Amino acid sequence: MSSENPYILEMQNISKSFPGVKALKDVSFRLKPGTVHALMGENGAGKSTLMKCLFGIYMKENGEIHLNGEPANFKNSREALEHGVSMIHQELNVVPDQTVMENIWLGREFTRRIGPFHLVNHRKMAEETRQLMKQLEMEIEPEGRMGSISISHQQACEIAKAVSYNASVVVMDEPTSSLSDKEVNHLFKIIRSLREQNVAIIYISHKMSEIFQIADEISVMRDGELITTAPASELDEDKLINLMVGRDMSQRFPIVEAVPGESVMQVKNLTSSDPKSFKNVSFDLRRGEILGIGGLVGAQRTELVESIFGLRATVEGTVSIEGQDAGIQTAKDAIHCGMGLITEDRRGAGIFPQLNIIENTSMPSLDRLTNKVGLLDHKTLIQKSTEMNEKFKTKTPTMETKIRSLSGGNQQKVIVARWMMTLPEILIMDEPTRGIDVGAKYEIYCIMAELAAAGKSIIMVSSEMPELIGMSHRIMVLCDGRKTGELEGEERTQENIMRLAARFGHDDFKEEEAS
Amino acid sequence: MKQLTRKSIGEFASKNTGYVTFAAMVVILGVLTGGGSLRLLSWQNLAIAEAVRALAALGVGIIIITKGIDLSLGQVVGLCACVSASLAQTPDYVSSLYPGLNLPVIAPILAGVGVGALFGLLNGFLVAYGKLPPFIATLGTMTIAAGLQLIYTHASTVGSLKNEYKVIAQGFLGPIPNMVIYVAIAVLFLWVLMNHTKIGKRIYAIGGNPTAARVSGISVKFETMKVYLMAGVLYGIAGVLLSSRLGLANALTGDNMELDAIAAATVGGVSHSGGVGKVGGIVVGVLTLGLINFGMTYLGVDSYYQLLVKGFIIIAAVYLDMRRAA
Repeated sequence: MSSENPYILEMQNISKSFPGVKALKDVSFRLKPGTVHALMGENGAGKSTLMKCLFGIYMKENGEIHLNGEPANFKNSREALEHGVSMIHQELNVVPDQTVMENIWLGREFTRRIGPFHLVNHRKMAEETRQLMKQLEMEIEPEGRMGSISISHQQACEIAKAVSYNASVVVMDEPTSSLSDKEVNHLFKIIRSLREQNVAIIYISHKMSEIFQIADEISVMRDGELITTAPASELDEDKLINLMVGRDMSQRFPIVEAVPGESVMQVKNLTSSDPKSFKNVSFDLRRGEILGIGGLVGAQRTELVESIFGLRATVEGTVSIEGQDAGIQTAKDAIHCGMGLITEDRRGAGIFPQLNIIENTSMPSLDRLTNKVGLLDHKTLIQKSTEMNEKFKTKTPTMETKIRSLSGGNQQKVIVARWMMTLPEILIMDEPTRGIDVGAKYEIYCIMAELAAAGKSIIMVSSEMPELIGMSHRIMVLCDGRKTGELEGEERTQENIMRLAARFGHDDFKEEEAS
Repeated sequence: MKQLTRKSIGEFASKNTGYVTFAAMVVILGVLTGGGSLRLLSWQNLAIAEAVRALAALGVGIIIITKGIDLSLGQVVGLCACVSASLAQTPDYVSSLYPGLNLPVIAPILAGVGVGALFGLLNGFLVAYGKLPPFIATLGTMTIAAGLQLIYTHASTVGSLKNEYKVIAQGFLGPIPNMVIYVAIAVLFLWVLMNHTKIGKRIYAIGGNPTAARVSGISVKFETMKVYLMAGVLYGIAGVLLSSRLGLANALTGDNMELDAIAAATVGGVSHSGGVGKVGGIVVGVLTLGLINFGMTYLGVDSYYQLLVKGFIIIAAVYLDMRRAA
């Protein structure tokens, strides 16, 4: 029977609810062997819940799961792994201080018997690892330390580990979120080779362009339901977005009505104290302008904006506000100069997870909210924080809710509210929509457009080219820490950005352009 | 809104585990001893016994909120006690450290608190600017303080303290022991600081996410330094009061106090992952452990077994707290 079954994995009529929410409604998902199947949907659509039901992390309430035609109800991910179903998480689970091979064979080390002892057979382990790497065309030294290889290689090791368990189904959750474009190409090569070996891959991602490069089939989830499964060739970006949001999103970006005015900030010859970082970057920022900063991973965009904000040291160059050298040394100085910074890494450098929304919103404004005796003016503090969050439509049960229990999009709105409360003239937004679902993204864009219309100036660092083109008046492109150009008006095309972003070094991009 | 439904009681209990545990223990103890333990005199004894520990726990508590730890606490309290006591010995005492010395009572107080402040600054500097892990930095200063105590006192007891000095801690204001008043002032001060000033908010922010704190314009190093300094001052006060209450000080005076203080802060809900903890919680933590000691002694439980019970209670408190946070 199983030989005639066209599906390696079948999940039928899966339902799951949490108090107050029906997280999965009668979801049926089928996966063919030797295919890459993209699973898409906004945050909260039910993708992870579905996967957690597969791996036994959640108990499904209804429905059946069959692997190779046989019932499969795994109790935990270990059991799933032993049956050839594995998951590569967005945040990799590696032991950095152990070697590559120790990581791969963790918990099932090869041993040999010497007298009464079972000792680890390092030689066999290295050999098996080498063979595995060869099979996957990876070049990773088995005895190297896991922590000293790049993230993309660590990820490749996790994939190798999955293969070593004879995986027939591999789930990848946002696998490219911390990879450079070059590394993404390498990952895709590995994925294609897995596909040739008849492994089925469930590929979870928000990035449309990737999906169309790699996926054979696409399933879209929305509000706990599986809306459709279709071959990738029958869909395009707009159709996909419509399916995901369930409403017409022909307008992915609001119209930015603001017209840039006079220059408010001048950056001249700014050079990082880190010789490997940016050099001699100069640019102007105008009132009511959204200036996009584009470039590949490693172009030093984050380093540039964090240096402007006083978080990193520079050796040369000046940042002037309205013609005067601002002399910014610390973030405190930058805030005094009317700047705000929404960092790229929301969890690591943005939110105070255990604090509530009021505290998260008011943190940089406390100086202004302290009275003469040194006590905080709680009334104003609560009122202002509430007003700001209402303005940006933060969805939260109460203002005393801890920020960590909000969704990514709502956390980001709290962070925007935080900086708007400092009444900034210049807002720097580093990857403002990273990890946020499509609906919330649009709201963030609207906020940006409104701010610009109100005469605020915005610097937006982004890796998403449509976002750069859709939202910025002007796009500055960096490559290897150097400014390679500015694009305005009709020049703002993906091709132009790519050309400037890959000006130096990146040979593989030149090849791609040529072909 | 304020109706006492079963749900709201449950919610209150889960949000205030510390208070509920404490209240439950008072009731249990009252029943077990037929109300005998609840007489006024016992309460005064409990308050006096726990006052010094409360000051120490408040100090280390705010450090733990910044995701730090302070092992030097006990030895620093001991050193402050010795220094303070050495300046308060009766002038005619023959084996006095400074025979014939007769300073006003304010001098030993300032000296004791000053030594605490110096150690606070040193700890703060090592942790904030030297970037040493707090565990290691304070392990070092703990050893230094232990050595200094022995050198300073020539490994003997500093005794025969003046009456004006002893009355600081041993006196009463009406029915209220002076010690309780000092602790109440410290608690009030810290409560205002942590809840109603920007310093307090920043301490929570640094403990919760130091990187985000830096981006928000907070000088993380300077604020961290302040926290260790404040803790040092509290240890200094604790040392002065301890020597005043005991009427003597020696190199053993503060031994192991860091463990009791850390345990109390932890039982009181201060999280070792940083950013979480309340002043009121720390006080309840101190009282809970104190009550356990007192109650078991009252009931005649062997002191060796008391240690076992205390150990289990610390583990249970943290276990419950972590499950609640998850």
